[in-house]
Amino acid sequence: MYKIFYLLLTCFYICSAKNSLHSSMIRHFKPLVFSAILAITLSLGAETKGNADEGKKIYEANNCGSCHNLDKKVVGPALRGVGKRRDIAWLTKWIRNNQALIKSGDADANALLKEYGGAQMSTFENITPAQVVDLVAYLDLPKPPPTGGAKKPGVPEPPKSDNTLYILLALIGIFLVLLLILNKVKNTLRKLNAEAAGEELASSNKNWLQRLLPARLANMNQVVLALFSFAIVVILGGGYLYSFGITEVGVQKGYAPKQPIAYSHKLHAGDLKIDCKYCHIGVEESKSATIPSANICMNCHKGIQKRQDDESGVDISPEIQKIYTALDYHPEKSGAEQFGSNGKPIQWIRIHNLPDHAYFNHSQHVKVGKLQCQTCHGPIEKMEVVQQWSTLQMGWCIECHRNTGIDVANNNYYLALHEKASKDMKENKSRSKYFGPDGKVKVTVALNGGLECSKCHY
Amino acid sequence: MSNHIKYWKGEEELVKDPSFLAVQKNEFPEALPLDEVLSEDGFELNSNRRDFLKYFGFSVTAVALAACYRTPVRKAVPYLVKPEDVTPGVANYYSSTCGSCSVGCGVEVKVREGRPIKIDGSPRSSISKGGLCAQGQAGILSLYDTERLANPTKNGAEVTDWAKLDSEISAALKSMADGGQRIVVLSNTVHSPSALRAVEDFKKAFTTAEHVTYDAISYSGILQANKKDFGKSAIPSYKFDKAELIVSFGADFLGTWISPVEFTKDYTTNRIPTAGREMSKHIQFESTLSLTGTNADDRYPIKAGKEGLYLASLYNAVAQETGGKPMPVAQNMEVAGNGIAKTAKLLAAAKGKSLVISGSSDMAVQCVVNGINMMLENYGKTIDLTNHSNQYKGTDSDEEAVLNDLSAGKIAGIIFWGTNPVYNSNGKRWEEAIKKARLSVSFSLTKDETATHCTYVCPDNHYLESWGDAEPKAGVYHFVQPTISNVFNTRQAPLSLLTWAGALPQREADPFDGKGNNGQKFNTSLYYSYMKDTWKGMLGEGDLDEKFNKCLHDGVWSAEAKEAAAPAYEGNIAEVASAVEAGAKGDGVDLVLYESVGVRDGAHGNNPWLHEMPDPVSKVTWDNYIALPKALAVKLGVGEGDTVNLKAGSLSLSNIPALIQPGQANNTVGIALGYGRTAAGKVGGSKEKNYDSIGFNLYPAMTVSGGSRQRVVKNVELTKGDETYRLAQTQTHHSIEGRDLVRESTFSAWKKAPNAGNDKPKTHVYTIWEKRDYLKDGQPNHRWAMAVDLNACTGCGACVVSCSIENNVPVVGRDEILKRREMHWIRIDRYYAWANPGKEVEGNYITREKEMKKVDASDKGNYEHWEHVKVVHQPMMCQHCSQAPCESVCPVLATTHSSEGLNQMTYNRCIGTKYCGNNCPYKVRRFNWFRYNDNDHFDFHFNNPLGKMVINPDVTVRTRGVMEKCSFCVQRIQEGKLKAKREGRAVTDGEVKTACQRTCPANAIVFGDLHDKNSEVSKLYRNERGFQVLEELNVQSSVMYLTKIRNTENV
Repeated sequence: MYKIFYLLLTCFYICSAKNSLHSSMIRHFKPLVFSAILAITLSLGAETKGNADEGKKIYEANNCGSCHNLDKKVVGPALRGVGKRRDIAWLTKWIRNNQALIKSGDADANALLKEYGGAQMSTFENITPAQVVDLVAYLDLPKPPPTGGAKKPGVPEPPKSDNTLYILLALIGIFLVLLLILNKVKNTLRKLNAEAAGEELASSNKNWLQRLLPARLANMNQVVLALFSFAIVVILGGGYLYSFGITEVGVQKGYAPKQPIAYSHKLHAGDLKIDCKYCHIGVEESKSATIPSANICMNCHKGIQKRQDDESGVDISPEIQKIYTALDYHPEKSGAEQFGSNGKPIQWIRIHNLPDHAYFNHSQHVKVGKLQCQTCHGPIEKMEVVQQWSTLQMGWCIECHRNTGIDVANNNYYLALHEKASKDMKENKSRSKYFGPDGKVKVTVALNGGLECSKCHY
Repeated sequence: MSNHIKYWKGEEELVKDPSFLAVQKNEFPEALPLDEVLSEDGFELNSNRRDFLKYFGFSVTAVALAACYRTPVRKAVPYLVKPEDVTPGVANYYSSTCGSCSVGCGVEVKVREGRPIKIDGSPRSSISKGGLCAQGQAGILSLYDTERLANPTKNGAEVTDWAKLDSEISAALKSMADGGQRIVVLSNTVHSPSALRAVEDFKKAFTTAEHVTYDAISYSGILQANKKDFGKSAIPSYKFDKAELIVSFGADFLGTWISPVEFTKDYTTNRIPTAGREMSKHIQFESTLSLTGTNADDRYPIKAGKEGLYLASLYNAVAQETGGKPMPVAQNMEVAGNGIAKTAKLLAAAKGKSLVISGSSDMAVQCVVNGINMMLENYGKTIDLTNHSNQYKGTDSDEEAVLNDLSAGKIAGIIFWGTNPVYNSNGKRWEEAIKKARLSVSFSLTKDETATHCTYVCPDNHYLESWGDAEPKAGVYHFVQPTISNVFNTRQAPLSLLTWAGALPQREADPFDGKGNNGQKFNTSLYYSYMKDTWKGMLGEGDLDEKFNKCLHDGVWSAEAKEAAAPAYEGNIAEVASAVEAGAKGDGVDLVLYESVGVRDGAHGNNPWLHEMPDPVSKVTWDNYIALPKALAVKLGVGEGDTVNLKAGSLSLSNIPALIQPGQANNTVGIALGYGRTAAGKVGGSKEKNYDSIGFNLYPAMTVSGGSRQRVVKNVELTKGDETYRLAQTQTHHSIEGRDLVRESTFSAWKKAPNAGNDKPKTHVYTIWEKRDYLKDGQPNHRWAMAVDLNACTGCGACVVSCSIENNVPVVGRDEILKRREMHWIRIDRYYAWANPGKEVEGNYITREKEMKKVDASDKGNYEHWEHVKVVHQPMMCQHCSQAPCESVCPVLATTHSSEGLNQMTYNRCIGTKYCGNNCPYKVRRFNWFRYNDNDHFDFHFNNPLGKMVINPDVTVRTRGVMEKCSFCVQRIQEGKLKAKREGRAVTDGEVKTACQRTCPANAIVFGDLHDKNSEVSKLYRNERGFQVLEELNVQSSVMYLTKIRNTENV
């Protein structure tokens, strides 16, 4: 039965892998279609003076998208076709220093301010008037026709589970069964053969055990044999249980639960290259890096309501809508009233759970130790779904503390330590613990007491 | 001169009581009661093979099944909109003002993720000066008390809607005011300018309303005497730092009297022997052995009832010295050792630099005190009546008048605010009287004795949830700001008054309105606006917002202090002479009612931390008791564990546990007030919920005479009780085995040789251990160490509570303490020594029990030497020995040494063999017998979700079966180091403070890095007074004690 099940499973696995391959091809293909359309529209709109391609770059570089949408009113007005609505000189003034424009008493500017509940736009004096022209050219591009999506982008692929082990096990099973069958066939044939020859079987007075074992073992005292086998089982089993207990129980390496919002670190940290510290604000000052509060998401997602390549036709991506729901945010309203009072906090599933009684401080490692996030969290910028990368076992901590050096020269806290180490080196104390075989100062964390109990347990 | 004083902790140790010696042998005297437990349910210990197999099989299966348990999914829930000033994992500190009593110490509140977890004194405050007492420390737990009312109540039933209640109450008040019926707001001392303004507004709205102040323990005597003598009914500011000679008659100014934290801070400034400076001298005359008495240089036991006469005698003696006019008393008294005459001589020599105070509640006695200070020209110098104190303003006669009028039906409406007279006054009469009122309202936070009898209970906020201000002294202002939003549906009392009076202020305009500021809402109490309005006129010109915010940030603001001037004296000492003589009549046994340092007036009777803290002198926990002098105990045939029946006036109490108190004056007994609550809650006792009271309520024994309630009851009758009762006393739980643990000397000897009393030759010790790296000079790591000045330490016990809060030390309760299982990481050892310079005794000290019997006999049953003891307090915590005996015996390396000199305790590793505890010479290791944090048998605060809010998230909550002990607050060390590392600098001296050091009102504890040669602790390590306890064991402890120096004639 299991054979069949495993065969089915294998087939299914291969198919699903093919499926995903298929969809990803489509996904790669789509931007091509999109840019082709873009190119055509660009060539059509050649009479506008600016360069829309440049404009797009300016739009992205200045994060206009965090407050504006091309086709929808968000924090600021919808921008598509703004060059047709407003005079380019006025736009230049507005973009570069809207506050000055408002102060000058410009009627349009003040009306705009009033319409948006007094929320002021930042000034962008870094954008030259020529660049404004490019920007407006980009904004004046007509809306590309919706293509209608075959598959919604933004939904992450299910993480691949490692099925090789199961396949191997299934194969072993099949072979074992085959072996037994063949053996049976062989025995039957031999029996038949013997019968035909009229021989008495030599082994007929032996029991099954004696038949199975080599002669030396088979002739042993049976009690001793039983004890001996039992001991082997206990040792092997115990060894297995021990290693299992050490490496598996409570160790959640690879833990990648489905989160309430399908947030992608790959997109944000990888593709968009947003600094980790932009969202994980506590990482340099607190023991916890902190999961960002929803208002941090809103710094960008007030404006960005769906992926750029989302062509499913929805206005707001369902995942981003979850943030809005959590905050009781209504994009159609403006000003302070946007966040309602019926917010419901997002219940993320905690992935990295330290063992009990252990104290860990992010700021010590990130700010003082200058470690990269990836050292412990793995290639987070490539993870669609975050998983626990390290074992978080004490041995793992200790190993790093043993090998990692402290930058004693560049932090005055370690001044005394640095002086001592340098002095040792000058006096060429060959046995000084403070420098490595290469003759350079190397103070590891362990040398500074990093392996002591009460550094982490109190 | 090395002294050879015999110190002892309790009588059982002194006389080597056999039962005491039997338990003393073992570190953990109570064996596990296995037989008892197993025989109860039909289990038997002598089980057979089959049973063994059965249990074995079951256990293996159970373990296997338990191992299949799936790891639970944990959630992480971030803020929706993160408040700008909160970073999860980083503590914020806010200035506020302690509201645990009416003294008004400025405090700093440590808040983690919106939840206050620790209170410490604010260095900016001129009242607390950075220190805080045990009660102030423990006040944080009252915030998380499950006994607090969750909603207002009417006739005992909860009402969730304040508006409904408000309309009923204000209608009733209005009809009373219209009908000309009296309304009384009976509060404890209120010195908040805004709250007083609210009361005025209330009085304006209801013209028949009055505000009467009443304190459970009042200072009526001083108020009345000052009114009479100086025309000003106020308590002056006492300046202990300016006094070179302090003479106190029964005033426990270091423990309970008026403003103990402030006084301790001031007092200790002159108590540290410093080259080129005189040390102040402190003489105490008292009946019970108070905390202050234990710190005195000279202490004279006197009979409480005759205190007035002793003071009159001192007056006459001083008059004789200074050439003044004596007061007419029939007979001048003298104490053994000519104390009065000697004191008078010293006082006359220290004119203008001395201070005489009395704890008496009798106006006549206080008038004599005023007279003495006037003669000595102390006013304007050590006593400042110009910048007077507002901390206690209640007059007992006013309360008596309210009670009489209420009983007679002359008062229609009564509002209780911070007062609980059914408990702490004439309870039975108050119960009856409240029933006669048309409207009775209580602002109590809990359903206390008085609130139980009131129609409405409108629960006040805890002070940590409130806005407010305070004026503890004229011109000294403190501010209160909320550090948590309301835990329950409660409302600040002054806001309730304003609501009923219809005098609510306008809500301020929302500064965030229209700013699009991520949904931030301006959502503050109306009382904030009201308070700001009060301050509008006081802060002068300029931007009010800016100035007011600065006040809140600092927590303090001072008006310009007026120059202290000697007030015009209108008193007539001859007039009070007859009153003093009349007051001193009666030769029977006097009962002294005093405040205990922990529980104080009983308002915090439901706070387990305060009950668990051992009394600084008797070391009794969880009970009050009758303190008997030895002579009286022998006469009554009462020993330790016996009880006494008491008849004091109309009050009869039977079977009060007896305690033979060395130092208790003959013919006097003492009992602490503040116990015997009947509606405090599950910890302090509640009749309604069927929880036993703790101790006996002695408030009904106080009677009003001469306008104030007398705390001395004369001619009480005592008989031996039928029952026996064991007091949970920690004094001899860790015996000293006759070892040399404390050292002391005199100031004169110290002046000759600074190592006086500490000149024991250093023993040369051979050791097999290699010197630890960090002990060598020029090592880069820290070497953390502590110094404790025995001269500064008063023994108040604030550190014990502070340590418990910081380190999540569980409360274990009376039963466990009886089994010697208290968990405190720091304890204060109190040692007695005989101090009788009387002529019967050869030599000054009785050192052997045989000699003592001889002396007992020669005293002819007076046991006078028992009256004369002197006391040394010694805080004792883990000494972090460099060659720690505990470390070498741990079989699993759970306790090890760090390269910074810390003795580390790793709970994950500990398997609970307790070898370390056995091998510790200081007896500072504590074993967790139970999982206190999750065990309903220990129903204090640790086992309920609200009480758990006070847990410090940076410190492990230990579980059953592990050892624990003082860690030198390693979490604070790590935090301080990390801060320095982040900022790229060395740790500055004083940056890392342990919890005990931070709260100490006496600055007795100093912590720091010995590798920093200029650190405070390094300097103290070089001080000649320094000695290490049990130095001869060569454990190389990291705590240096400084010899106690007394400013007296001989040791």
